[in-house]
Order: sequence, then structure tokens, then C-alpha cells
Amino acid sequence: ETGEDGLALPGNKEQLTVFHSADNFNVKHPLMNKWTLWYTKPPNNRGENNWNDLLKEVVTFDSVEEFWGIYNNIAKTSELSLKSDYHLFKTGVRPEWEDAQNKHGGKWAYQFKRGSPVDDLWLNVMLAAIGETLESDKDKEIMGVVVNVRKVSYRIGLWTKTTGAGKGTPKEAALMEIGRKFKEVLKLGDKDVIEFSCHTESAHSGQSRAKAKHVV
Amino acid sequence: LNLKIKTNEPGPPSAALTSLRSARFIEDLQGVNYPPNILSPNPALNPAASGKFKYAKDFLMQFKDVFTEKPSVDWDEKMRDTVGEPDSARTQTAR
Repeated sequence: ETGEDGLALPGNKEQLTVFHSADNFNVKHPLMNKWTLWYTKPPNNRGENNWNDLLKEVVTFDSVEEFWGIYNNIAKTSELSLKSDYHLFKTGVRPEWEDAQNKHGGKWAYQFKRGSPVDDLWLNVMLAAIGETLESDKDKEIMGVVVNVRKVSYRIGLWTKTTGAGKGTPKEAALMEIGRKFKEVLKLGDKDVIEFSCHTESAHSGQSRAKAKHVV
Repeated sequence: LNLKIKTNEPGPPSAALTSLRSARFIEDLQGVNYPPNILSPNPALNPAASGKFKYAKDFLMQFKDVFTEKPSVDWDEKMRDTVGEPDSARTQTAR
């Protein structure tokens, strides 16, 4: 039963990826985390605007192949109506301030003018999130990423579990490093500034823009 | 011959979707022989063979035009209930 080249041995079957055959592959690329894509519907004029009715869980996935199946068959950000959002969060974390894993956290965010290449930017951000290249393994800060489609801008944000503790702490350094990587993924220049705000302040000020706690 | 019959019942999963569902997760990236035109994952991103991998953008982008299948047989229905169908969404875009 030993094949001449050893490939015939049970358990030693050749690994065929989607690149070998898109219709007949036997291995896929695992993601480090499971991710869930959410969508916020724009409020309608009939007053049925409970946040919980507007926030919809779309799909959960855990492989590179499945991510692309989703991406290739869902509306691009530039095609969404005003006041919609996409949220890509680690499975088990709701994309809300109130979630137990978010309530002590905050977000890095940048507002892009309408007309910016939002589809490329959002794809870059999603790939950095699922590819896990925004933080080092030990940090475990990143909860998810979000894009808001608004009248004057597209806002792209990255939510973190904490707000970085005190000045000069390793936690703060980790958060700043995430901010720098995020800025790089967004292809921003030295003169552009991204801001970090705490969710609690955003909640109190009654809107998503709060005073920046950190900037990069 | 390509007859498209429109029904409300989702059809059987395609070969691509069947492969996606039955495929095993790669445990060791170094053990995969990628076709010569494919850029392998950057080994520097995954120093330990942990079964959990990081992937750089260049590697991930290679899948874009390769896996294009809807991720479930009821995908269109799911889109109608959430994001809206890509086609109807597209017509709303002002260009």
C-alpha cells in the first residue's frame, strides 16, 4: 500500500488549494479568528428605527476562501445608501458600545471625504483585520472595524478593547502601534491625523465624535 | 448548454461551495505546494507552526478572482433580508 512517491499513503493525500482547482479543492486557509459581518440599515421614514431592528447580522466566516465568496457577492460600500454601516467584528462581540467587551474600549477613526476610494480602503482594512496584521498576538485589543456611509464623508474606524491605560504603559504603546498600522493601511500621509476616542465619551456626548484621547 | 431556471427553492450547492464546506483547514502552511504563479504566504508572518496564521494583503488578494462563489445556497434570500440585493443597491448609486 506504500505508493512509490509516498503520496498514496492515507493521511498524506496531496493538499489541493483553491488555486489548484476552484471547483475541487480539499484544504482551505484558516483565519486566526472567526469574524461576523454586520450591516446597519438606514433609518426609514415610518418611524421603525429601533437600533436593534436596524442592526443586522449578515454572515460569520472563518476561512480566507469564504471571505472572498462573501466579498464578491455583497454590495460594495460605495453602493450603500446614506446612513448605512458595515461592521466586521470578531464573532461574539456585538458592534455596540454596550457590549461587555466594548464598554471599556474606544476607537481609532478617520473621516474620508466623499469621492475617496472607499471600496479599496474598506477592503484594505478588512484584509488587515482578518489577516491579523494590525496587532501583535499578545495584544488582543482589536474588536472589529467599521465603515459609516454619511452625507459628507465615509468614516472608517477600528474598535479596541481598552483605551490604553496610563501614559507610558505597555498597553498605551500597543494601542499607539495599532493606530500607526491602521493609518498605514488607510494609506494616510504624515500630515493626516487619526484620532482615538473612548466609547464612554462618545456615548455621553450623544454622537460618535468625541474628544480625542490619542492621535497618530 | 446553460439553461437558467428561476425558482424560489435554492438549488444544490455548486462544486465550489461543496469544496469549501468539505475542505479541511490547512495546519501547516509550509506543507502546501502552491502553483508556481502563486505567491506563498510570507513565512516571516508565521514564525511558529501554530495552525493559526497571519496573512499579508498581497497573499490575500490572490484569492479575489479565484473564489467568487456565493457563500451559501440561500445567499440571495439572506441579502434581501439584510443588505439588499447587489443589483438593486447598485441602481441607487448616483454617478
